[in-house]
Amino acid sequence: MSSSKTSADPILVIEGLQKSFGGLRAVAGAGLSVRRGSLTALIGPNGAGKTTLFDLVTGFARPDRGTIRFDGRAIAGLPPHRVARLGLVRTFQLTRVFAAMTVLENMMLAPPGQPGESLLGLMAQGGARRRIEAMVRGRAFALLKHFNLEEKSQDYAGTLSGGQRKLLELARALMTSPQMVLLDEPMAGVNRVLGRRLLDYVEELRRSESVTFLFVEHDMDVVMSRADRVIVMAEGTVIAAGSPDLVRNDPRVIDAYLGRTH
Amino acid sequence: MRRSDSSLGRGGDAPPFASALWRRTPPIAWLAIALVLIGLMLTAVVGPTAAGQATLNGLVGAGYFALGAVGLTLVYGVLRLVNFAHGDMLTFGTYVTLGVTALGVPFWPSAAVGMIVTALLAILLDRVIWEPMRRARTSTLQLFLVATGLALVLRYSVQFFAGSQVRTVGLDTTSSLNFGPWHLGTLQLDVMLVGLATILLTGAGLRYTRLGKEMRAVADNIALAEVTGIDTRRTIRATWLVAGGLAALAGILYAASIGTINPNFGFTILLSLFAAAVLGGIGNAYGALAGGVVIGLSQEWSTLFFNTRWKPAIGFAILILTLLLMPRGIFGRKKARL
Amino acid sequence: MSADFWLGVGVTAGVYGIFVLGLQINVGFTGLLNLGQAGFMGIGAYAMGMLVTNAGWSIWAAMPAAVLIAVAAGLLVGLPSLRLRSDYFAIATIAFAEIVRDTFQNAAFAGGNQGIIGYDQEWRDTASWLLRQLAHIGLGGDTQLPLFIVVWLCFGLCLAGLKFLQASPWGRVLRAIREDEDAAAALGKNVLAYKLQSLAIAAALAAVAGFFLALNVTYLYPSEFDPTFTFLGYAVLVLGGFASYGGVAIGSVLLWSVMEGLRFLHLPLSTGQLGSLRFVLIGLILILLSMLRPQGLLGRKAEMQLR
Repeated sequence: MSSSKTSADPILVIEGLQKSFGGLRAVAGAGLSVRRGSLTALIGPNGAGKTTLFDLVTGFARPDRGTIRFDGRAIAGLPPHRVARLGLVRTFQLTRVFAAMTVLENMMLAPPGQPGESLLGLMAQGGARRRIEAMVRGRAFALLKHFNLEEKSQDYAGTLSGGQRKLLELARALMTSPQMVLLDEPMAGVNRVLGRRLLDYVEELRRSESVTFLFVEHDMDVVMSRADRVIVMAEGTVIAAGSPDLVRNDPRVIDAYLGRTH
Repeated sequence: MRRSDSSLGRGGDAPPFASALWRRTPPIAWLAIALVLIGLMLTAVVGPTAAGQATLNGLVGAGYFALGAVGLTLVYGVLRLVNFAHGDMLTFGTYVTLGVTALGVPFWPSAAVGMIVTALLAILLDRVIWEPMRRARTSTLQLFLVATGLALVLRYSVQFFAGSQVRTVGLDTTSSLNFGPWHLGTLQLDVMLVGLATILLTGAGLRYTRLGKEMRAVADNIALAEVTGIDTRRTIRATWLVAGGLAALAGILYAASIGTINPNFGFTILLSLFAAAVLGGIGNAYGALAGGVVIGLSQEWSTLFFNTRWKPAIGFAILILTLLLMPRGIFGRKKARL
Repeated sequence: MSADFWLGVGVTAGVYGIFVLGLQINVGFTGLLNLGQAGFMGIGAYAMGMLVTNAGWSIWAAMPAAVLIAVAAGLLVGLPSLRLRSDYFAIATIAFAEIVRDTFQNAAFAGGNQGIIGYDQEWRDTASWLLRQLAHIGLGGDTQLPLFIVVWLCFGLCLAGLKFLQASPWGRVLRAIREDEDAAAALGKNVLAYKLQSLAIAAALAAVAGFFLALNVTYLYPSEFDPTFTFLGYAVLVLGGFASYGGVAIGSVLLWSVMEGLRFLHLPLSTGQLGSLRFVLIGLILILLSMLRPQGLLGRKAEMQLR
C-alpha cells in the first residue's frame, strides 16, 4: 500500500481500507489522499476495486477495516444520505436516473434542505417555499442548458439516450452544490463533443468553486490530458499515485496493465 | 517492487481459538445442542412428564412444518419467488386426498394420489403462470399479486366444491399408545414417523441424488449452475414437483394429526411455514427442515407456559424476531447486501 | 333491490377507498409492499371501540386518539422492518397483522371472539340528526345515507390531501425512492425517514377506514381485520391502477359493484358457493390483470414500462 505524498489540504484521506464479500477481497488495504480542488483520476484494470472503493467512501458498503476522512470528518460506515449531506456525492457506473420522472424533476430533487421536502415544511409558510422552489427551478434550467438538455426538461428521463443520462446524472449531482464529486466512468457512452463540454464544465467548476473531482476512467487520453493527479489501483490496493507523467512510466503500473493496449 | 500479497487471500493474524471453534462447528450442531439444552431446562422447570409430552407433541408437528417449509424455501431459492399460494397447495392436496378416500380408497394410498395430483398442479401452474412471468422479468409487486390471486383461486375453489365447514378426516383419532408417563395417539405416532422419515429422506435426496445437488446448486447461484451445464428448466420442474408433493403431504399430516380441517387451514399455517423457512435461511432446504423442527417444538413447548390459543403466535413471534435479528437465518450465507 | 342496499354497497366501497388510499401511498408512490394494512385498521377500530366502551370517552375524542395510536403502531412496525428487503418487509407486515388479529381474538381485554359493541351511540344520534336535515331537502328515508355521505366526504378530503402531498417536493422524494432508493440516498435523502412517514400516513388512513367499518357493522370482531381485507384492497389497487389516487375510488366502486352484483345473476348456487365464487373471481382478476395489464385498468403503461 503506498500512501502518497499528502499535499496541502487533502479533502479526502483513506487509510488501510479493507472490504471482503464472502471469500473475495475486493479492497485489500487501500490508502490514498485527494487534494482539495483537484481533478484526480482513479485508474486500474477491471476488478481492481475502484467501484467498491466508491461504495465504501459514499456509504453504500461498510469497510471491514480502515479509515476514511472527508473534510476532516471520519465518515467510514456512515449511511449514504449522511455522506451526501456532508457534500460528497457520486454518480454510478450504470447510470441511475429516475426513469419514470421527468428530467426537470430529476434535477429539482437534488438540492438538499428544501423545506417542501419535509412534512413539517409543507405545513409552514407557503410563500417562502414557493420562492425557494422557483430558485431551484431556475438553477436547474441553467445547469440543463450547460449540458444541452434543457429542451428535454419535460421528458421522462427514461427516454434519454445513454450519453444524455450520464450528463443528467452529473448535472443532478451538481445541483447539490457539492464539495466533492465521485464520477464513476463519466465518459462511457458519451460522444466526444459532449464529453469535452462536460470536462470543460468540470474544470470551470473546479476553478470557480473549488469543487474536487475524483473520477474513474478508462479513456487514457482523457486521464492524461485533464487530470492533475492519477491514482492507480490494482487487486484491491493502490499501487501508485502521482502526476500523469510519473504514473504512466511507473513499472508497477505497466505491470498491472500488462496486455492492455490503450 | 512491493507486491501487495500480504493483503490478498487469507488475512493477517491467526484468529483466536474461541472464534476458530465457532467457525468450524456447523450451525446444525449448535442448533441441536441448543434444543437439547432447552429441553433439559424445561424438564427441570415443569418436570419430565410435561416436558416430555410437549416434546413428543412437538415432534409430531415438526413433520408437517418441515415438509411444508421445504417446498416454500426451494421455490424461493430456485425461482426467487415468495410463493404466497404455497399454503393453499397444502389445502388443495389435503382436500383431494379426502375426496379420494370418499371413494373408498384407504387413507395412505389416497394420500399418495393427493401428493401426485398436487405435484402435477404445481407444474401446470408453473407452465401457465410462473414461466411467462419469469420471461417478462416482472417485479416483486406483480409476483406477489399473482401469488395472492392464485392463493385465493385455490382456496375458494376448494371451498366452492367442498364447502367451508370444518370436516373431520375420518380416521381413528381415539386410540393411543402409552410410553411410560407419556402418551401419543396412534394416528399422531404415524404422523410423526412418516414426517420424520420423509424429512430424512428429503435431506438425503438433496444431498446424495444428482437432482438434489442440482436443485441446491441452482438455488445457490443460478448463473453459475447454468454455466456448469445444469439443465435449469428440468431443475425448475423438479422443484415444483417436490414442492407440490411435499406440500400435499404436509397438509395431510397436519390434517391427520389435528383430526379436522377447513379450507383456510393452509393459509393459516403459511406464516408458520415462513417462520420455519426464514429461520433456516430462506433458500436453504436443510435449513427449512431444521426450521420446521424448531417451530414444531417451540409451539408445543409454549403450551407449557401459555394457553394453547397462543400457539400460532409463537410462530409469528419467531418469524419477526428472526427477521429483525438474524434475517439470514441460522444456515443462511453471507450476502453483500441483504 | 332497494336504494338502501346500494347505499350499503357504497359505504363498503368508501371504506375500502380510504383503506386503499393508504395502500396506494405505500405501494404506488413509495414502493413499499405493505401487507399489514388490515392490522393498522384493526388497531384503529379497536382503539376507538375500547376507548368509548371501556374508558367512557366520547367517540369524537376517541377517533383522533385512535388515529394517533395507529400511527404509533406504524412507526413501531416500520422502524425495524423497513430496513429489510422488500419481500422480507412484506412478510414482516403480514406477521404483524396476524399478531394483532390473534391478540384481539385471544386477549380478554379485547373481548375475544365476542368482540366489542356499543360504541356507536353518539354516531347514531348524529346520523339521525343528519337524516332529519336531509329529509328537509327530500332525501330522508334511506338509513344508510348519512354514513354514505360522511364516508365519501371523508374520502374526498383524504384524496385531496394526498394529491397535495403528491404534487409537493415531499411527494417527489417519495417517487424517487420508489424508483431507485439508492440513488435517492446518494442525493442526501433519508430514505428510512420517508418510508416511515409513508407507512404512518397509511396507518392513519387505515384507522379512519376502520372507524367507518366499525360504524357500518356496529360491532367489532377480530376476523373483520384479517389478511383477506388487505388482499381485497390490493384487488382494488390493481383494478384502479397504481400511482393514481383517483383510480382508487373507481377501482373500489367497480370491485364492489361486481361483487355484489353477482347476487342478481340468479345463479343456481347456494349462498356459500356464491361467496366462494366471488373470491375466486377476485383471485382471477388479480392474476389476469397482474400478468396482462400490470398498470391496472387506469394506470399509465408508460410509467410501468420505464422501470
